[in-house]
Amino acid sequence: MSRARSQTLWSTVFLAPGVGLISLFVFIPILLTAWISLHEWSMYTPLTQMPWVGLANYSQVVGDQGFQQALVNTFVYAAVSIALIVPLSIFFGLFLYRPPIRGRTFLRTVLFATYMVPTVAVAIIWGYLYSPLYGPIDQLLALVGLPSQPWLGSTSQAMLAIIILNLWQTLGYYTVLVLAGLTQISQDYFDASAIDGAGTIGQTRYVIIPLLRRTLVFVIIIAAINTLQVFDPVYVLTQGGPVNATNVLSFDIYQTAFEFGRAGAASAMAIILLIVLAVTITTFLRLTRED
Amino acid sequence: MTSPQGTVPTAPVPVLSAERRADHRRATLGRIPLRTVQYMFLLVVALAVLFPVYWMIASSLKTPDELTSLPPSWLPAHPSIDAYSTVLSVIPYAQAFFNSFVIAAGDTIAIVVTSVMAGFVFAKYNFRGREVLFYAVLATMFVPTIVTLVPLFHVMQSLGLVDTYPGVMLPQLANAFGIFLMRQFIRGIPDELIDAARVDGASEWRVLWGIVAPLLTPAIATLVLFAFVFQWNSFLWPLTILQSQDKFTIVLAMSRLLSYTSSIQFQNVVMAGAVISIVPNTILFLFLQRFFVTGLAQSGLKG
Repeated sequence: MSRARSQTLWSTVFLAPGVGLISLFVFIPILLTAWISLHEWSMYTPLTQMPWVGLANYSQVVGDQGFQQALVNTFVYAAVSIALIVPLSIFFGLFLYRPPIRGRTFLRTVLFATYMVPTVAVAIIWGYLYSPLYGPIDQLLALVGLPSQPWLGSTSQAMLAIIILNLWQTLGYYTVLVLAGLTQISQDYFDASAIDGAGTIGQTRYVIIPLLRRTLVFVIIIAAINTLQVFDPVYVLTQGGPVNATNVLSFDIYQTAFEFGRAGAASAMAIILLIVLAVTITTFLRLTRED
Repeated sequence: MTSPQGTVPTAPVPVLSAERRADHRRATLGRIPLRTVQYMFLLVVALAVLFPVYWMIASSLKTPDELTSLPPSWLPAHPSIDAYSTVLSVIPYAQAFFNSFVIAAGDTIAIVVTSVMAGFVFAKYNFRGREVLFYAVLATMFVPTIVTLVPLFHVMQSLGLVDTYPGVMLPQLANAFGIFLMRQFIRGIPDELIDAARVDGASEWRVLWGIVAPLLTPAIATLVLFAFVFQWNSFLWPLTILQSQDKFTIVLAMSRLLSYTSSIQFQNVVMAGAVISIVPNTILFLFLQRFFVTGLAQSGLKG
Protein backbone atom coordinates (compact mmCIF):
# COMPACT_ATOMS: atom_id res chain seq x y z
CA MET A 1 0.00 0.00 0.00
CA SER A 2 1.39 3.40 -0.94
CA ARG A 3 2.10 6.10 1.63
CA ALA A 4 -0.73 8.27 0.26
CA ARG A 5 -3.26 5.43 0.28
CA SER A 6 -2.29 4.44 3.79
CA GLN A 7 -2.60 8.05 5.00
CA THR A 8 -6.10 8.30 3.55
CA LEU A 9 -7.02 5.11 5.33
CA TRP A 10 -5.56 6.25 8.63
CA SER A 11 -7.07 9.72 8.47
CA THR A 12 -10.47 8.06 8.06
CA VAL A 13 -9.84 5.73 10.98
CA PHE A 14 -8.64 8.57 13.23
CA LEU A 15 -11.36 11.03 12.25
CA ALA A 16 -14.32 8.66 12.21
CA PRO A 17 -15.06 8.47 15.97
CA GLY A 18 -14.67 12.19 16.74
CA VAL A 19 -16.24 13.65 13.65
CA GLY A 20 -18.84 10.85 13.46
CA LEU A 21 -20.04 11.43 17.02
CA ILE A 22 -20.15 15.19 16.55
CA SER A 23 -22.17 14.77 13.34
CA LEU A 24 -24.54 12.37 15.01
CA PHE A 25 -25.07 14.38 18.18
CA VAL A 26 -24.69 17.99 17.00
CA PHE A 27 -25.08 18.45 13.23
CA ILE A 28 -28.00 16.08 12.68
CA PRO A 29 -29.91 17.27 15.79
CA ILE A 30 -29.57 20.90 14.59
CA LEU A 31 -31.16 19.90 11.28
CA LEU A 32 -33.86 18.01 13.17
CA THR A 33 -34.53 21.05 15.37
CA ALA A 34 -34.94 23.18 12.25
CA TRP A 35 -37.27 20.54 10.76
CA ILE A 36 -39.34 20.21 13.95
CA SER A 37 -39.66 24.01 14.15
CA LEU A 38 -41.82 23.86 11.01
CA HIS A 39 -44.28 21.47 12.64
CA GLU A 40 -46.81 21.23 15.39
CA TRP A 41 -45.43 18.63 17.80
CA SER A 42 -45.85 17.53 21.41
CA MET A 43 -42.77 15.24 21.42
CA TYR A 44 -44.78 12.11 22.20
CA THR A 45 -45.69 11.08 18.66
CA PRO A 46 -43.25 9.77 16.02
CA LEU A 47 -41.37 12.41 14.03
CA THR A 48 -43.00 11.13 10.87
CA GLN A 49 -46.50 12.04 12.06
CA MET A 50 -45.99 15.73 12.84
CA PRO A 51 -48.45 18.06 11.10
CA TRP A 52 -46.68 20.66 8.94
CA VAL A 53 -47.37 24.28 9.95
CA GLY A 54 -44.75 26.16 7.91
CA LEU A 55 -43.49 29.26 9.67
CA ALA A 56 -46.48 29.49 12.02
CA ASN A 57 -44.35 28.64 15.07
CA TYR A 58 -41.96 31.47 14.23
CA SER A 59 -44.67 34.09 13.84
CA GLN A 60 -46.37 32.89 17.02
CA VAL A 61 -43.13 32.89 19.01
CA VAL A 62 -41.91 36.27 17.76
CA GLY A 63 -45.24 37.85 18.73
CA ASP A 64 -45.21 36.25 22.17
CA GLN A 65 -44.53 38.71 24.98
CA GLY A 66 -42.91 36.12 27.22
CA PHE A 67 -40.44 35.23 24.48
CA GLN A 68 -39.68 38.87 23.72
CA GLN A 69 -38.98 39.40 27.39
CA ALA A 70 -36.71 36.31 27.45
CA LEU A 71 -34.82 37.64 24.45
CA VAL A 72 -34.30 41.04 26.10
CA ASN A 73 -33.37 39.45 29.45
CA THR A 74 -30.80 37.19 27.81
CA PHE A 75 -29.24 40.14 26.00
CA VAL A 76 -29.11 42.25 29.15
CA TYR A 77 -27.57 39.36 31.08
CA ALA A 78 -24.92 38.77 28.40
CA ALA A 79 -24.13 42.45 27.78
CA VAL A 80 -23.80 43.41 31.45
CA SER A 81 -21.75 40.29 32.20
CA ILE A 82 -19.33 40.96 29.33
CA ALA A 83 -19.09 44.65 30.23
CA LEU A 84 -17.91 43.57 33.70
CA ILE A 85 -15.80 40.58 32.66
CA VAL A 86 -13.59 42.36 30.13
CA PRO A 87 -12.21 45.22 32.26
CA LEU A 88 -12.02 43.09 35.41
CA SER A 89 -10.19 40.24 33.69
CA ILE A 90 -7.67 42.70 32.20
CA PHE A 91 -7.20 44.29 35.60
CA PHE A 92 -6.72 41.01 37.45
CA GLY A 93 -4.65 39.59 34.60
CA LEU A 94 -2.25 42.51 34.86
CA PHE A 95 -2.22 42.31 38.63
CA LEU A 96 -1.30 38.64 38.51
CA TYR A 97 1.31 39.24 35.82
CA ARG A 98 3.05 42.43 36.74
CA PRO A 99 4.04 43.27 40.31
CA PRO A 100 6.89 41.06 41.51
CA ILE A 101 5.14 40.14 44.75
CA ARG A 102 4.69 36.79 46.37
CA GLY A 103 1.25 35.21 46.60
CA ARG A 104 0.32 35.74 42.98
CA THR A 105 0.19 32.03 42.24
CA PHE A 106 -1.99 31.60 45.29
CA LEU A 107 -4.42 34.28 44.12
CA ARG A 108 -4.50 32.79 40.62
CA THR A 109 -5.32 29.40 42.08
CA VAL A 110 -8.07 30.85 44.27
CA LEU A 111 -9.57 32.86 41.41
CA PHE A 112 -9.56 29.94 39.01
CA ALA A 113 -10.79 27.40 41.57
CA THR A 114 -14.29 28.91 41.61
CA TYR A 115 -14.60 27.87 37.96
CA MET A 116 -14.40 24.24 39.11
CA VAL A 117 -17.48 24.55 41.33
CA PRO A 118 -20.64 23.17 39.68
CA THR A 119 -22.93 26.02 38.62
CA VAL A 120 -25.76 24.41 40.54
CA ALA A 121 -23.65 24.52 43.71
CA VAL A 122 -22.70 28.14 42.97
CA ALA A 123 -26.39 28.98 42.63
CA ILE A 124 -27.20 27.21 45.90
CA ILE A 125 -24.41 28.94 47.83
CA TRP A 126 -25.31 32.39 46.49
CA GLY A 127 -29.00 31.74 47.07
CA TYR A 128 -28.18 31.47 50.77
CA LEU A 129 -25.74 34.39 50.67
CA TYR A 130 -28.55 36.56 49.28
CA SER A 131 -31.24 35.30 51.62
CA PRO A 132 -32.96 38.15 53.47
CA LEU A 133 -32.08 38.46 57.17
CA TYR A 134 -30.33 35.07 57.41
CA GLY A 135 -27.77 35.76 54.71
CA PRO A 136 -24.35 37.37 55.31
CA ILE A 137 -24.83 39.93 52.52
CA ASP A 138 -27.72 41.47 54.44
CA GLN A 139 -25.53 41.49 57.54
CA LEU A 140 -22.74 43.31 55.69
CA LEU A 141 -25.23 45.86 54.35
CA ALA A 142 -26.52 46.39 57.90
CA LEU A 143 -22.96 47.04 59.08
CA VAL A 144 -22.78 50.05 56.76
CA GLY A 145 -26.31 51.12 57.64
CA LEU A 146 -28.10 49.88 54.50
CA PRO A 147 -31.51 48.19 54.70
CA SER A 148 -32.15 44.54 53.84
CA GLN A 149 -32.39 43.92 50.08
CA PRO A 150 -34.79 41.43 48.47
CA TRP A 151 -32.28 40.34 45.75
CA LEU A 152 -33.74 37.21 44.14
CA GLY A 153 -37.24 38.14 45.27
CA SER A 154 -37.21 41.45 43.45
CA THR A 155 -37.95 42.06 39.77
CA SER A 156 -35.31 44.78 39.64
CA GLN A 157 -32.51 42.94 41.49
CA ALA A 158 -32.89 39.27 40.58
CA MET A 159 -31.07 39.53 37.26
CA LEU A 160 -28.22 41.49 38.85
CA ALA A 161 -27.97 38.84 41.56
CA ILE A 162 -27.51 36.14 38.91
CA ILE A 163 -24.97 38.26 37.02
CA ILE A 164 -22.93 38.63 40.22
CA LEU A 165 -22.86 34.90 40.98
CA ASN A 166 -21.83 34.18 37.40
CA LEU A 167 -19.07 36.76 37.69
CA TRP A 168 -17.82 35.14 40.90
CA GLN A 169 -17.76 31.75 39.22
CA THR A 170 -16.18 32.65 35.86
CA LEU A 171 -13.96 35.70 36.33
CA GLY A 172 -10.94 33.58 37.28
CA TYR A 173 -11.26 31.61 34.06
CA TYR A 174 -11.28 34.75 31.91
CA THR A 175 -8.43 36.19 33.98
CA VAL A 176 -6.34 33.12 33.22
CA LEU A 177 -7.07 33.58 29.51
CA VAL A 178 -5.84 37.18 29.75
CA LEU A 179 -2.83 36.02 31.75
CA ALA A 180 -2.00 33.47 29.06
CA GLY A 181 -2.22 36.28 26.49
CA LEU A 182 0.04 38.52 28.56
CA THR A 183 2.76 35.88 28.86
CA GLN A 184 3.01 35.91 25.07
CA ILE A 185 3.75 39.62 24.91
CA SER A 186 7.49 40.17 24.78
CA GLN A 187 8.95 41.75 27.89
CA ASP A 188 10.65 44.24 25.54
CA TYR A 189 7.34 46.04 25.00
CA PHE A 190 6.94 46.63 28.70
CA ASP A 191 10.55 47.80 29.07
CA ALA A 192 10.52 49.96 25.93
CA SER A 193 7.38 51.81 26.90
CA ALA A 194 8.76 52.30 30.41
CA ILE A 195 11.85 53.92 28.88
CA ASP A 196 9.59 56.13 26.82
CA GLY A 197 8.15 57.32 30.10
CA ALA A 198 4.72 55.73 29.83
CA GLY A 199 2.94 55.41 33.18
CA THR A 200 1.02 52.30 34.13
CA ILE A 201 -2.27 53.60 32.77
CA GLY A 202 -0.78 54.90 29.52
CA GLN A 203 1.18 51.70 29.06
CA THR A 204 -1.92 49.59 29.62
CA ARG A 205 -4.09 51.71 27.35
CA TYR A 206 -1.71 52.24 24.43
CA VAL A 207 0.69 49.30 24.55
CA ILE A 208 -0.78 46.31 26.32
CA ILE A 209 -4.45 46.40 25.32
CA PRO A 210 -3.66 46.66 21.58
CA LEU A 211 -1.26 43.72 21.93
CA LEU A 212 -3.93 41.76 23.81
CA ARG A 213 -6.43 42.32 21.03
CA ARG A 214 -6.69 38.69 19.92
CA THR A 215 -6.97 37.47 23.49
CA LEU A 216 -9.74 39.95 24.22
CA VAL A 217 -11.66 39.01 21.08
CA PHE A 218 -11.39 35.39 22.24
CA VAL A 219 -12.52 36.27 25.78
CA ILE A 220 -15.54 38.22 24.51
CA ILE A 221 -16.62 35.42 22.17
CA ILE A 222 -16.34 32.74 24.84
CA ALA A 223 -18.17 34.97 27.31
CA ALA A 224 -20.92 35.65 24.76
CA ILE A 225 -21.40 31.94 24.08
CA ASN A 226 -21.48 31.11 27.77
CA THR A 227 -23.78 33.90 28.87
CA LEU A 228 -26.27 33.69 25.98
CA GLN A 229 -27.06 30.11 27.01
CA VAL A 230 -27.37 30.65 30.78
CA PHE A 231 -29.71 28.08 32.31
CA ASP A 232 -28.59 26.50 35.60
CA PRO A 233 -28.89 29.41 38.07
CA VAL A 234 -32.24 30.45 36.61
CA TYR A 235 -33.62 26.92 36.90
CA VAL A 236 -32.28 26.42 40.42
CA LEU A 237 -32.99 29.82 41.96
CA THR A 238 -35.79 31.70 40.22
CA GLN A 239 -37.55 29.52 37.63
CA GLY A 240 -37.57 32.63 35.45
CA GLY A 241 -39.25 34.79 38.10
CA PRO A 242 -40.19 36.95 39.78
CA VAL A 243 -42.73 37.86 37.07
CA ASN A 244 -40.46 36.81 34.19
CA ALA A 245 -37.64 39.09 35.39
CA THR A 246 -35.03 36.35 34.94
CA ASN A 247 -36.73 34.35 32.22
CA VAL A 248 -33.91 33.70 29.75
CA LEU A 249 -33.99 31.93 26.37
CA SER A 250 -32.63 28.54 27.45
CA PHE A 251 -35.07 28.36 30.34
CA ASP A 252 -37.99 29.53 28.20
CA ILE A 253 -37.17 26.91 25.54
CA TYR A 254 -36.82 24.15 28.14
CA GLN A 255 -40.14 25.02 29.74
CA THR A 256 -41.95 25.33 26.41
CA ALA A 257 -40.71 21.92 25.26
CA PHE A 258 -40.65 19.81 28.40
CA GLU A 259 -43.26 21.38 30.65
CA PHE A 260 -45.79 22.75 28.15
CA GLY A 261 -45.22 20.03 25.52
CA ARG A 262 -44.90 22.49 22.65
CA ALA A 263 -41.77 21.13 20.99
CA GLY A 264 -42.48 22.81 17.64
CA ALA A 265 -42.58 26.29 19.19
CA ALA A 266 -39.58 25.46 21.41
CA SER A 267 -37.60 24.40 18.34
CA ALA A 268 -38.45 27.66 16.57
CA MET A 269 -37.14 29.51 19.65
CA ALA A 270 -33.98 27.37 19.64
CA ILE A 271 -33.32 28.16 15.99
CA ILE A 272 -33.81 31.87 16.72
CA LEU A 273 -31.26 31.57 19.57
CA LEU A 274 -28.81 29.85 17.23
CA ILE A 275 -29.25 32.56 14.59
CA VAL A 276 -28.84 35.33 17.17
CA LEU A 277 -25.64 33.69 18.39
CA ALA A 278 -24.24 33.13 14.88
CA VAL A 279 -25.04 36.68 13.76
CA THR A 280 -23.62 38.22 16.94
CA ILE A 281 -20.37 36.30 16.70
CA THR A 282 -19.75 36.71 12.96
CA THR A 283 -20.56 40.44 13.12
CA PHE A 284 -18.25 40.84 16.07
CA LEU A 285 -15.46 38.93 14.32
CA ARG A 286 -15.89 41.01 11.18
CA LEU A 287 -15.80 44.26 13.15
CA THR A 288 -12.67 43.31 15.04
CA ARG A 289 -10.77 41.69 12.20
CA GLU A 290 -7.21 42.93 11.99
CA ASP A 291 -5.56 44.34 8.80
CA MET B 1 -1.19 51.67 41.33
CA THR B 2 1.61 53.77 39.88
CA SER B 3 4.65 52.27 38.28
CA PRO B 4 8.24 53.37 38.44
CA GLN B 5 8.95 55.72 35.63
CA GLY B 6 11.39 58.30 34.31
CA THR B 7 14.34 57.22 36.40
CA VAL B 8 15.41 54.29 34.26
CA PRO B 9 18.47 54.97 32.11
CA THR B 10 19.01 53.28 28.76
CA ALA B 11 20.71 50.03 29.64
CA PRO B 12 20.83 46.39 28.56
CA VAL B 13 17.58 44.60 29.30
CA PRO B 14 18.64 42.32 32.18
CA VAL B 15 20.13 45.22 34.13
CA LEU B 16 17.06 47.26 33.35
CA SER B 17 14.74 44.62 34.74
CA ALA B 18 16.78 44.40 37.90
CA GLU B 19 16.64 48.15 38.32
CA ARG B 20 12.92 48.18 37.72
CA ARG B 21 12.50 45.63 40.45
CA ALA B 22 14.61 47.71 42.78
CA ASP B 23 12.58 50.76 41.82
CA HIS B 24 9.41 48.88 42.48
CA ARG B 25 10.46 48.24 46.04
CA ARG B 26 10.87 51.96 46.63
CA ALA B 27 7.64 53.02 44.94
CA THR B 28 4.94 54.45 47.16
CA LEU B 29 1.31 55.40 46.95
CA GLY B 30 1.02 58.51 49.09
CA ARG B 31 2.83 57.54 52.29
CA ILE B 32 2.19 53.81 52.05
CA PRO B 33 4.70 51.68 50.14
CA LEU B 34 3.19 50.40 46.88
CA ARG B 35 4.06 46.86 47.81
CA THR B 36 1.97 47.04 50.98
CA VAL B 37 -1.00 48.30 48.96
CA GLN B 38 -0.58 45.41 46.55
CA TYR B 39 -0.44 42.83 49.32
CA MET B 40 -3.50 44.30 50.96
CA PHE B 41 -5.35 44.25 47.66
CA LEU B 42 -4.33 40.64 47.08
CA LEU B 43 -5.54 39.67 50.52
CA VAL B 44 -8.88 41.45 50.18
CA VAL B 45 -9.57 39.87 46.80
CA ALA B 46 -8.61 36.40 47.99
CA LEU B 47 -10.86 36.76 51.05
CA ALA B 48 -13.77 38.03 48.98
CA VAL B 49 -13.43 35.17 46.53
CA LEU B 50 -13.08 32.57 49.28
CA PHE B 51 -15.91 33.89 51.44
CA PRO B 52 -18.77 32.07 49.64
CA VAL B 53 -16.80 28.82 49.92
CA TYR B 54 -16.23 29.49 53.62
CA TRP B 55 -19.94 30.22 54.10
CA MET B 56 -20.83 26.94 52.42
CA ILE B 57 -18.53 24.93 54.71
CA ALA B 58 -19.46 26.89 57.85
CA SER B 59 -23.22 26.52 57.17
CA SER B 60 -22.84 22.80 56.58
CA LEU B 61 -21.42 22.50 60.12
CA LYS B 62 -24.12 24.52 61.88
CA THR B 63 -27.03 23.01 63.79
CA PRO B 64 -30.67 23.76 62.79
CA ASP B 65 -31.07 25.88 65.95
CA GLU B 66 -28.13 28.03 65.04
CA LEU B 67 -29.33 28.40 61.43
CA THR B 68 -32.72 29.70 62.50
CA SER B 69 -31.45 32.22 65.05
CA LEU B 70 -30.86 35.86 64.19
CA PRO B 71 -28.49 37.48 63.45
CA PRO B 72 -26.64 34.66 61.61
CA SER B 73 -23.37 33.62 63.21
CA TRP B 74 -20.10 34.01 61.32
CA LEU B 75 -18.59 30.94 62.95
CA PRO B 76 -20.44 27.69 63.76
CA ALA B 77 -20.92 27.75 67.53
CA HIS B 78 -21.14 23.97 67.94
CA PRO B 79 -19.70 22.47 64.75
CA SER B 80 -21.48 19.24 63.85
CA ILE B 81 -21.18 16.86 60.94
CA ASP B 82 -24.75 15.58 61.33
CA ALA B 83 -25.75 17.31 58.11
CA TYR B 84 -23.36 15.09 56.16
CA SER B 85 -24.93 11.88 57.41
CA THR B 86 -28.39 13.37 56.83
CA VAL B 87 -27.64 14.22 53.21
CA LEU B 88 -26.43 10.68 52.59
CA SER B 89 -29.59 9.18 54.09
CA VAL B 90 -32.43 11.42 52.83
CA ILE B 91 -31.56 10.84 49.19
CA PRO B 92 -29.18 8.34 47.50
CA TYR B 93 -26.40 10.92 47.53
CA ALA B 94 -23.54 8.41 47.62
CA GLN B 95 -25.10 6.63 44.65
CA ALA B 96 -25.37 9.99 42.85
CA PHE B 97 -21.70 10.66 43.56
CA PHE B 98 -20.81 7.28 42.10
CA ASN B 99 -23.05 7.85 39.04
CA SER B 100 -21.42 11.20 38.35
CA PHE B 101 -17.99 9.68 38.71
CA VAL B 102 -18.68 6.86 36.25
CA ILE B 103 -20.28 9.23 33.74
CA ALA B 104 -17.64 11.97 33.97
CA ALA B 105 -14.69 9.56 33.94
CA GLY B 106 -16.07 7.53 31.05
CA ASP B 107 -16.80 10.61 28.97
CA THR B 108 -13.39 12.08 29.77
CA ILE B 109 -11.52 8.99 28.60
CA ALA B 110 -13.54 8.90 25.38
CA ILE B 111 -13.03 12.63 24.79
CA VAL B 112 -9.25 12.31 25.20
CA VAL B 113 -9.05 9.38 22.77
CA THR B 114 -11.32 10.88 20.10
CA SER B 115 -9.67 14.31 20.43
CA VAL B 116 -6.08 13.06 20.16
CA MET B 117 -6.93 11.04 17.05
CA ALA B 118 -8.92 13.75 15.27
CA GLY B 119 -6.49 16.47 16.38
CA PHE B 120 -3.61 14.49 14.89
CA VAL B 121 -5.32 14.30 11.51
CA PHE B 122 -6.24 18.00 11.47
CA ALA B 123 -2.69 18.95 12.47
CA LYS B 124 -0.52 16.62 10.41
CA TYR B 125 -2.37 15.11 7.45
CA ASN B 126 -3.05 16.94 4.22
CA PHE B 127 -6.20 16.25 2.28
CA ARG B 128 -8.75 18.23 0.34
CA GLY B 129 -11.44 19.78 2.51
CA ARG B 130 -9.40 19.46 5.70
CA GLU B 131 -9.80 23.10 6.75
CA VAL B 132 -13.51 23.21 5.89
CA LEU B 133 -14.13 20.10 7.94
CA PHE B 134 -12.05 21.46 10.81
CA TYR B 135 -13.95 24.74 10.94
CA ALA B 136 -17.27 22.89 10.72
CA VAL B 137 -16.23 20.87 13.77
CA LEU B 138 -14.97 24.00 15.54
CA ALA B 139 -18.30 25.76 14.91
CA THR B 140 -20.09 23.13 17.03
CA MET B 141 -18.31 24.61 20.05
CA PHE B 142 -20.69 27.55 19.67
CA VAL B 143 -23.89 25.50 19.64
CA PRO B 144 -25.76 25.78 22.95
CA THR B 145 -26.97 22.52 24.52
CA ILE B 146 -30.55 23.77 24.47
CA VAL B 147 -30.57 23.96 20.65
CA THR B 148 -30.21 20.20 20.20
CA LEU B 149 -32.06 19.14 23.34
CA VAL B 150 -35.49 18.30 21.89
CA PRO B 151 -34.34 16.04 19.03
CA LEU B 152 -31.64 14.42 21.20
CA PHE B 153 -34.21 13.56 23.83
CA HIS B 154 -36.49 12.14 21.17
CA VAL B 155 -33.72 10.05 19.61
CA MET B 156 -32.75 8.67 23.04
CA GLN B 157 -36.39 7.90 23.71
CA SER B 158 -36.71 5.97 20.42
CA LEU B 159 -33.56 4.04 21.29
CA GLY B 160 -34.91 3.24 24.76
CA LEU B 161 -32.00 5.09 26.39
CA VAL B 162 -33.96 7.55 28.54
CA ASP B 163 -32.97 7.17 32.19
CA THR B 164 -29.79 5.15 31.46
CA TYR B 165 -26.04 5.77 31.74
CA PRO B 166 -25.51 5.40 27.96
CA GLY B 167 -28.27 7.93 27.40
CA VAL B 168 -26.39 10.52 29.45
CA MET B 169 -22.96 9.63 28.11
CA LEU B 170 -23.41 9.03 24.38
CA PRO B 171 -23.75 12.64 23.19
CA GLN B 172 -20.64 13.63 25.18
CA LEU B 173 -18.05 11.17 23.88
CA ALA B 174 -16.41 13.69 21.54
CA ASN B 175 -16.26 17.45 21.50
CA ALA B 176 -14.89 20.29 19.43
CA PHE B 177 -12.91 21.89 22.26
CA GLY B 178 -10.85 18.73 22.75
CA ILE B 179 -10.17 18.31 19.03
CA PHE B 180 -9.19 21.98 18.77
CA LEU B 181 -6.87 21.80 21.79
CA MET B 182 -5.10 18.70 20.50
CA ARG B 183 -4.72 20.08 16.98
CA GLN B 184 -3.09 23.25 18.35
CA PHE B 185 -0.59 21.24 20.37
CA ILE B 186 0.18 18.61 17.76
CA ARG B 187 0.89 21.35 15.20
CA GLY B 188 3.81 22.36 17.41
CA ILE B 189 5.42 18.91 17.18
CA PRO B 190 8.12 18.89 14.46
CA ASP B 191 7.27 16.91 11.31
CA GLU B 192 10.83 15.50 11.30
CA LEU B 193 10.10 13.57 14.49
CA ILE B 194 7.02 11.97 12.97
CA ASP B 195 8.73 11.27 9.63
CA ALA B 196 11.71 9.67 11.36
CA ALA B 197 9.37 7.24 13.11
CA ARG B 198 7.67 6.48 9.80
CA VAL B 199 11.02 5.80 8.13
CA ASP B 200 11.78 3.38 10.97
CA GLY B 201 8.69 1.50 9.86
CA ALA B 202 6.26 2.55 12.59
CA SER B 203 2.60 2.36 11.61
CA GLU B 204 0.50 5.52 11.84
CA TRP B 205 -1.18 4.04 14.91
CA ARG B 206 2.19 3.65 16.61
CA VAL B 207 3.34 7.08 15.47
CA LEU B 208 0.31 8.61 17.12
CA TRP B 209 0.25 6.68 20.39
CA GLY B 210 3.97 5.95 20.72
CA ILE B 211 5.57 9.20 19.53
CA VAL B 212 3.01 12.01 19.47
CA ALA B 213 0.78 11.25 22.46
CA PRO B 214 3.60 11.14 25.06
CA LEU B 215 4.59 14.67 24.02
CA LEU B 216 1.11 15.95 24.76
CA THR B 217 1.17 15.67 28.55
CA PRO B 218 0.27 19.31 29.36
CA ALA B 219 -2.40 19.33 26.68
CA ILE B 220 -3.93 16.05 27.84
CA ALA B 221 -3.79 17.18 31.46
CA THR B 222 -5.62 20.37 30.50
CA LEU B 223 -8.20 18.42 28.53
CA VAL B 224 -8.73 15.87 31.31
CA LEU B 225 -9.33 18.70 33.78
CA PHE B 226 -11.75 20.60 31.54
CA ALA B 227 -13.60 17.54 30.25
CA PHE B 228 -14.05 15.94 33.66
CA VAL B 229 -15.14 19.18 35.32
CA PHE B 230 -17.50 19.98 32.45
CA GLN B 231 -19.16 16.57 32.62
CA TRP B 232 -19.28 16.49 36.41
CA ASN B 233 -20.91 19.93 36.51
CA SER B 234 -23.24 19.39 33.59
CA PHE B 235 -26.91 19.93 34.48
CA LEU B 236 -29.23 20.52 31.53
CA TRP B 237 -28.71 17.20 29.70
CA PRO B 238 -28.87 14.96 32.81
CA LEU B 239 -31.96 16.91 33.94
CA THR B 240 -33.62 16.11 30.63
CA ILE B 241 -32.61 12.49 30.22
CA LEU B 242 -32.59 11.07 33.78
CA GLN B 243 -35.77 10.38 35.72
CA SER B 244 -35.25 7.98 38.60
CA GLN B 245 -33.43 9.04 41.73
CA ASP B 246 -30.97 6.16 41.75
CA LYS B 247 -29.70 7.25 38.31
CA PHE B 248 -29.28 10.92 39.22
CA THR B 249 -25.92 12.62 38.88
CA ILE B 250 -24.73 14.49 41.94
CA VAL B 251 -25.57 17.88 40.46
CA LEU B 252 -29.10 16.73 39.76
CA ALA B 253 -29.45 15.25 43.25
CA MET B 254 -28.16 18.51 44.71
CA SER B 255 -30.76 20.55 42.85
CA ARG B 256 -33.51 18.22 44.13
CA LEU B 257 -32.14 18.58 47.65
CA LEU B 258 -32.79 22.31 47.46
CA SER B 259 -36.32 21.86 46.19
CA TYR B 260 -37.17 19.39 48.99
CA THR B 261 -35.83 21.55 51.76
CA SER B 262 -35.88 25.25 50.97
CA SER B 263 -36.46 25.94 54.67
CA ILE B 264 -33.51 27.78 56.24
CA GLN B 265 -33.14 25.21 59.06
CA PHE B 266 -32.04 22.60 56.51
CA GLN B 267 -29.43 24.87 54.99
CA ASN B 268 -26.75 22.71 56.62
CA VAL B 269 -27.96 19.63 54.70
CA VAL B 270 -28.07 21.41 51.34
CA MET B 271 -24.66 23.00 51.94
CA ALA B 272 -23.21 19.63 53.00
CA GLY B 273 -24.43 18.33 49.64
CA ALA B 274 -22.70 21.23 47.90
CA VAL B 275 -19.44 20.58 49.81
CA ILE B 276 -19.44 16.92 48.77
CA SER B 277 -20.10 17.88 45.14
CA ILE B 278 -16.97 20.01 44.82
CA VAL B 279 -14.49 17.48 46.22
CA PRO B 280 -13.45 15.58 43.04
CA ASN B 281 -13.04 18.72 40.91
CA THR B 282 -11.00 20.41 43.60
CA ILE B 283 -8.65 17.44 43.93
CA LEU B 284 -8.25 17.12 40.17
CA PHE B 285 -7.65 20.85 39.85
CA LEU B 286 -4.95 20.92 42.51
CA PHE B 287 -3.19 17.98 40.86
CA LEU B 288 -3.38 19.26 37.30
CA GLN B 289 -3.28 23.02 37.69
CA ARG B 290 0.44 23.33 37.03
CA PHE B 291 -0.24 22.21 33.47
CA PHE B 292 -3.22 24.26 32.55
CA VAL B 293 -1.77 27.76 32.20
CA THR B 294 0.75 26.37 29.73
CA GLY B 295 -2.06 24.37 28.21
CA LEU B 296 -4.24 27.41 27.68
CA ALA B 297 -1.39 29.65 26.61
CA GLN B 298 -0.48 27.28 23.83
CA SER B 299 -4.00 26.69 22.60
CA GLY B 300 -6.72 29.20 21.92
CA LEU B 301 -4.53 32.20 21.75
CA LYS B 302 -2.15 31.32 18.95
CA GLY B 303 -4.90 30.83 16.35
